[in-house]
Amino acid sequence: MRKGKPVPTVTIDGCKVEVENGETILDAAKKAGVWIPTLCYHPAVSSDASCRICMVELDRGDWRQLVTACNYPVRRDIVVYVSSEGAQQARRGVMELLLARAPESQELKALAERMGVKETHYPKVTESQRNCILCGLCVQVCEEIIGQAAIGYAGRGVDRTVAAPFRQPSEDCIGCGACAAICPVGTIKVRIHEDEQEVEISPFKSRAKLLICEECGAPIISMQVSEQALGKVEVNCEEFRERVRLCPKCRRSQTAGRLKAAKFCKKES
Amino acid sequence: MTVLGNAKLRSAADLKHMQEELRARHTPSAKCVRVCTGPGCAAKGSPRLYELFCEAVERTGADVEIEAKSVGCHGLCECGPIVLIQPGNIFYQKVEEPDVAEIFRETILGDRVVEKLLYENPATGQKAVTPEEITFYKVQKRIALAGNGLIDPTNIGDYIAEGGYIALAKVLSSMTPEEVISEVEAAGLRGRGGGGFPTARKWRSCREADGSPKYVICNGDEGDPGAFMDRAIMEGNPHAVIEGMIIGAYAIGSEQGYIYVRNEYPLSVERLKLAIEQARELGVLGEKILGSSFSFDIRINRGGGAFVCGESTALMASLEGRPGEPRAKYIHTVESGLHGRPTNLNNVETWANVPAIVNHGGEWFSSIGTEKSKGTKVFCLVGKVVNTGLVEVPMGITLRRIVEEIGGGIAGGKRFKAVQTGGPSGGCIPAEHLDARVDFDELTKLGSMMGSGGMIVMDEDTCMVRVAKYFTNFLQKESCGKCTPCREGLSQMLYILERVTKGEGEVGDVEELEGLADLLGGTALCALGKTAANPIVSTIRYFRDEYDAHIKEKRCPAKECRGLFRYEIDSEACTACGICLKNCPADAITGEKKVPHVINQEKCTLCGMCWEKCPFTAVLKV
Repeated sequence: MRKGKPVPTVTIDGCKVEVENGETILDAAKKAGVWIPTLCYHPAVSSDASCRICMVELDRGDWRQLVTACNYPVRRDIVVYVSSEGAQQARRGVMELLLARAPESQELKALAERMGVKETHYPKVTESQRNCILCGLCVQVCEEIIGQAAIGYAGRGVDRTVAAPFRQPSEDCIGCGACAAICPVGTIKVRIHEDEQEVEISPFKSRAKLLICEECGAPIISMQVSEQALGKVEVNCEEFRERVRLCPKCRRSQTAGRLKAAKFCKKES
Repeated sequence: MTVLGNAKLRSAADLKHMQEELRARHTPSAKCVRVCTGPGCAAKGSPRLYELFCEAVERTGADVEIEAKSVGCHGLCECGPIVLIQPGNIFYQKVEEPDVAEIFRETILGDRVVEKLLYENPATGQKAVTPEEITFYKVQKRIALAGNGLIDPTNIGDYIAEGGYIALAKVLSSMTPEEVISEVEAAGLRGRGGGGFPTARKWRSCREADGSPKYVICNGDEGDPGAFMDRAIMEGNPHAVIEGMIIGAYAIGSEQGYIYVRNEYPLSVERLKLAIEQARELGVLGEKILGSSFSFDIRINRGGGAFVCGESTALMASLEGRPGEPRAKYIHTVESGLHGRPTNLNNVETWANVPAIVNHGGEWFSSIGTEKSKGTKVFCLVGKVVNTGLVEVPMGITLRRIVEEIGGGIAGGKRFKAVQTGGPSGGCIPAEHLDARVDFDELTKLGSMMGSGGMIVMDEDTCMVRVAKYFTNFLQKESCGKCTPCREGLSQMLYILERVTKGEGEVGDVEELEGLADLLGGTALCALGKTAANPIVSTIRYFRDEYDAHIKEKRCPAKECRGLFRYEIDSEACTACGICLKNCPADAITGEKKVPHVINQEKCTLCGMCWEKCPFTAVLKV
């Protein structure tokens, strides 16, 4: 809409920046160098605005509306307050609720401290999943980026958890660990079971076979991830395929060995 | 009964012709028995009554023209099953199976009134023959419910004979989409689902939005406790909803509509399905409606029972086959709704008002009601009133008139305490505001809201903290769990309320509740979460003293919260009959013949058995 019009501006705490039509308040804040805490936001996946930690105040003339910065699209000139009392109070309130839910997460505590929240005065009343804040990033990354949708939500409301179907280990999980990497509170962990040559994604208990280094026997990566990755690159080079079956360390030493044979430099070790 | 030949109607003139023919069939002296088979009456056995009347009609033979009809909710559910007899519009209440033969013999064949089945005014003892003589109906004004109790919802011919689809014919033959929208705008119609957003503005935004196809949705996911307005319309007059939707679709430029009905309403689904089939057969729905170039069809989708699916974005997610969870509405659904296309969603009652607006004009509709709330509103009057039931009142009527005149006041001679409007997200309005008018903005000002039309009346025996706890519990269970404030905040509030009603409340709990309510109102994702604290906020606002009594004095003034009152036997009223003693499961009552009994407070488990069983009301809650 409004094609051909000049780009909208966002005034954040008095600092004016221009954004592309449809960019969010969070995008604008980054341009303005204003920090807004986020948890369920990640640039790689679509924004769900479920954690509500990025609340800011939007000037509506005679009143201010609390909106989520991560998904509020800027389509006209707007004035936004990030550090106003109302906005801070809202964000801190949400943080206190989250701290009550996931009191053991160091990552969450660190973010809380940065926001000026020392501790929560709420008791822990909901616990369907230990230390999970249900931001949903893991679910989204698994579906949108990895394309597996091995995990999703189970239960509703206070019983909502992130789980594989029927809360059983998932057959669709390829053990890539993207969920663990994206988890903002460190709840999801990748565990390597060397004896069984398997990788486990905790707490979902999903397991995947590991590719083992042909040289040293060290686990490299989940077999399915390797296969999928190879399927995505067009390399008709047997040497490349062979080297993928080595762990990074062995690959390096193999390369180093070859380089040594090539004698690029005089120095010998 | 099938209507006319199965020929499709090819023009507005065809429809008018059909209507005239249908009307000509009925002579003014024709006899008709209308049996209400709405949910209330059906629960009391009215479908069986209908069968009996049908059998009786069959037995009479062809020399007398009699028709038995099963009709939708008539309203006065308290007095069901209800039977109406034409001519004379005789209103029989609390009809039982043995009465059928008598009604048939006396009234239908003998033109005499059966006195014992007439409604009796409890105050004056006066009998009423027709509904118009009953205060419950006199105060009402029926637009959305006009066809309820009159037409057979399974027969499109009945609807057409009463003027149905004439509005559609008028729209298709003589109005541009913009004219339709202007008419609705002139009517001042606002969304009946709760929000009260101007319908015409929504339609226009959707019409002007880029993108196609455009969708039209009817929200029939009624889930408020104690509410059955939409159900009554869908079951009692499904064609009114369908006609409204077709007119709306024409105005917006949509060719596909959906009706989202909760699966707990199997009869609504059945009636709507049948109505859609009949409308298609007749050519008022489907390809080239009434011979015009406009095509529109409707599909029914059944909801899985989540309260939150009544929220528009959650409903659309559910329609798309995804979990029914709301999303941010920073981009409105009229721009990007179902499948990312412009989508116009209205509530059942809103759609049902549209044909009447087209027929009688926007000006007529806007002549009813207040400055900013036009027309009528259907309410489900439930709780501690004498006359519970389905009512439709003009906007601007005072709550007092609804409770006292239509509702007949509080049952059992108790004192009125509060009326809860707006469903779980609404608020409780106390006696001092009973003269407030039914109006979107006025109810909001009082801390409640119009909502979709639930109206629960409470008497002096109702503990307002428990009321707040009840609704908070409902919402906590129905929260989808997507956003933090709703999922965690409601749980925290419920935890506090549970402590307070157990007598474990602490000073500061009320302030804590208020703080959480503020947080929820500002930060929750959807309307369910944003308004979820309304029951708490409104009860604190008007009944703060009850919260304080619970917290500071560990006392429940309404004596509902177990543990915050005790049972005692009034020694003067006690006749020492021994009934309480025999029934006490904890052996906490002692006493002998002719000696007033006593409750041993240490042994008493507060089960309330003695209180229930005492025939002399000598057991008191203190």
